Amino acid sequence: MRKKIIALVLSVLMIGLCFALAGCGDKEPAADSDLAYIQGKGTLVVGITDFAPMDFQEEGSEEWVGFDADLAKKFAESLGVAVEFQLIEWDYKVTELDGKTIDCVWNGMTLTEEVKAAMDCSKAYCNNQQIVIVPADKAADYQTAEACKDLQFAVENGSAGEEVATELGFKITEVENQATALQEVAAGTCDAAIIDSLMAAAMVGEGTSYANLTYTVGLNDEEYGVGFRKGSDLVEKFNAFLDAAIADGTVDAIAETYNVQAALIK
Amino acid sequence: MSQFFQQFPTVFAALNVGFFQTLKLFFCTLLGALPLGLIISFGSMSKFKPLSAVTRVFVWIVRGTPLMIQLLIIFFFPGLVWGNPIWGGGESGRFAAATVAFIINYACYFSEIYRGGIQSIPVGQHEASQVLGLTKSQTFFRVVLLQVIKRIVPPMSNEIITLVKDTSLARIIALQEIIWAGQSFMKGSHGIAGQIWPLFFTGVYYLLFSGILTLLFNKLEKKLSYFKV
Amino acid sequence: MAILEVSNIHKSFGKTEVLKGISFSLEKGNVLSIIGSSGSGKTTLLRCINFLETADVGRITVDGDVIFDSDTQAKLSAKEKRDKQLKIGLVFQQFNLFPQYNVLDNVTLAPRLRAKELPDYKKNKKQIIAEIEEKAKALLAKMGLSDKLENYPCELSGGQQQRVSIARAMALEPKILFFDEPTSALDPELTGEILKVIRELAEEHMTMVIVTHEMSFAKDVSDHIVFMDQGVIAEEGRADEVFDNPQSERLKAFLNNINT
Repeated sequence: MRKKIIALVLSVLMIGLCFALAGCGDKEPAADSDLAYIQGKGTLVVGITDFAPMDFQEEGSEEWVGFDADLAKKFAESLGVAVEFQLIEWDYKVTELDGKTIDCVWNGMTLTEEVKAAMDCSKAYCNNQQIVIVPADKAADYQTAEACKDLQFAVENGSAGEEVATELGFKITEVENQATALQEVAAGTCDAAIIDSLMAAAMVGEGTSYANLTYTVGLNDEEYGVGFRKGSDLVEKFNAFLDAAIADGTVDAIAETYNVQAALIK
Repeated sequence: MSQFFQQFPTVFAALNVGFFQTLKLFFCTLLGALPLGLIISFGSMSKFKPLSAVTRVFVWIVRGTPLMIQLLIIFFFPGLVWGNPIWGGGESGRFAAATVAFIINYACYFSEIYRGGIQSIPVGQHEASQVLGLTKSQTFFRVVLLQVIKRIVPPMSNEIITLVKDTSLARIIALQEIIWAGQSFMKGSHGIAGQIWPLFFTGVYYLLFSGILTLLFNKLEKKLSYFKV
Repeated sequence: MAILEVSNIHKSFGKTEVLKGISFSLEKGNVLSIIGSSGSGKTTLLRCINFLETADVGRITVDGDVIFDSDTQAKLSAKEKRDKQLKIGLVFQQFNLFPQYNVLDNVTLAPRLRAKELPDYKKNKKQIIAEIEEKAKALLAKMGLSDKLENYPCELSGGQQQRVSIARAMALEPKILFFDEPTSALDPELTGEILKVIRELAEEHMTMVIVTHEMSFAKDVSDHIVFMDQGVIAEEGRADEVFDNPQSERLKAFLNNINT
């Protein structure tokens, strides 16, 4: 008899677990105040990828630095919370944000229509351009968009680069990220790549990881912003912080460190 | 070549950190899944029909869906649907979520191996224990268990070596295990980009570790070869 | 007074009634053999008496203690059932030795676990275990296995294994020892050594119940014979009478079949 009761209890637990996993909870509306939520837990979790010069680690160091990383540290300080950088899979950035496993996406994110639809974004703080990357020894042949028409392009899946390449009718291969796109060109599996100019400045050309590649023609202009949860009051807070940081020269100082001052939006 | 020697210390350090995560996930999974699998196998063998039916459906769902989906669901579900991110977003939360997903998944696989092993023990062993006055738990732990272990060592060693490699799936929720660490040098990290050799090099870690496990399992098999079942 | 009294045992599997009211008794120090064709219910009867099956109806008494009563059985705790069950021992057709234990451990395992329930176990642990081992070694010596104590079952012949299992059953000092076709799993040339052991036990007045197909052996060693057919006792009596002067047609037919 006792055994039967134990078995019954276990069965109920198992069924309960199944229902719990199948999900009967309702989605909570965005917290009354995202700011209060973050200050309550004491940390701002910044979702990033390894992306020089915005978020990266120096050789032999575990600390995240870069234009975005340094500015994020200042922003967290202004909120009175600690900052925590969390590497994410870029494809899941919106899921991570909505699931509250990160609090913002701040990683040289181009403000595309798609991004603006999925998150509440800050105002733009940095200019960017989608530019064409080719092997240095062939650069002379591809100085205009028209000249590039017959090339096979590697572009990041879902990126601004893909958008512009599709508009121009280029042949594209979708890859996981911008770095992989560069690798495709370096390996000769694609003729060219389209990536962010800020990244290109840091990763392509003499004295970088891809010394044999170079950039030629810029295809369009765009802007970087920070993504927050829908309805978050952190957007306003960030915009105010940015204005102040530009006014007192903080932004300029950081930009100079990472050589991106030419791209700043003031 | 000089570039390789220059990059090697950085890559080696990063891979070691990643491999430590891999090992941690591996051992925590075993620690949880080995006993949980036994409990699940008892559930699926229960004479109480509703319990065994529910358990078997659960095992079917877990074994019949990709571990990658389970990882995504377990990590993102609480925050997205309940509005309560129970895991938190940091590395330790991702590790906890991955461990839970792996334990549930592997416990279900283990439970089926256990069930096969337990059910293959001749009924005469139970009857002999009973007429000698052994209790149910004495029968299981003193008589049946070691025979079951001997029978399941080969399928378990297969499954456990698969687990070594499956840990790399945890990168889907951005757990920075060794593949993530190796791949980061393709994408660009610590001033190194476009390098594929670190990723190849992660294979050396897997080979060494699964080699050690294979040796250990062979040793265990030999140790249990003194009797026949 | 009889040491074993079995009364009115009924047992059905689904709609098939296998035992239709079996009653018999056995005097202390006597040997009883149960014979009958396969399907007659003799193995089921043995399993009911040894608690491997639960009889639907019936009552079993050993040495004055009721060890089974279909009316009260469900109320007994697991421990009470085990205590009652240990009044009798069983030797299996398939030996069922524990393969991972050596010969000595096979014999001492159950007594050692049993001794843990003694109130003074912790205090006298060493002495108690030593006594158990001494007794086991003596039993195994009697079985002619003194040189096999450290061997594992897979290293023994079938006859040796069966002798270990007899020693294992006797180590718990049962009042009655049951045998379920003890030679059926053995090669013909090995049956002799088991029959010899049983005969020696009979000479020492061990009370035994043997289910067997070995008619000449049953006649030779038994005091009493029970012949089962279709779930009932068709005939019983003293061994020489049953074999030399069978009364029922069914027993006559059975003995004829065996002898031809």
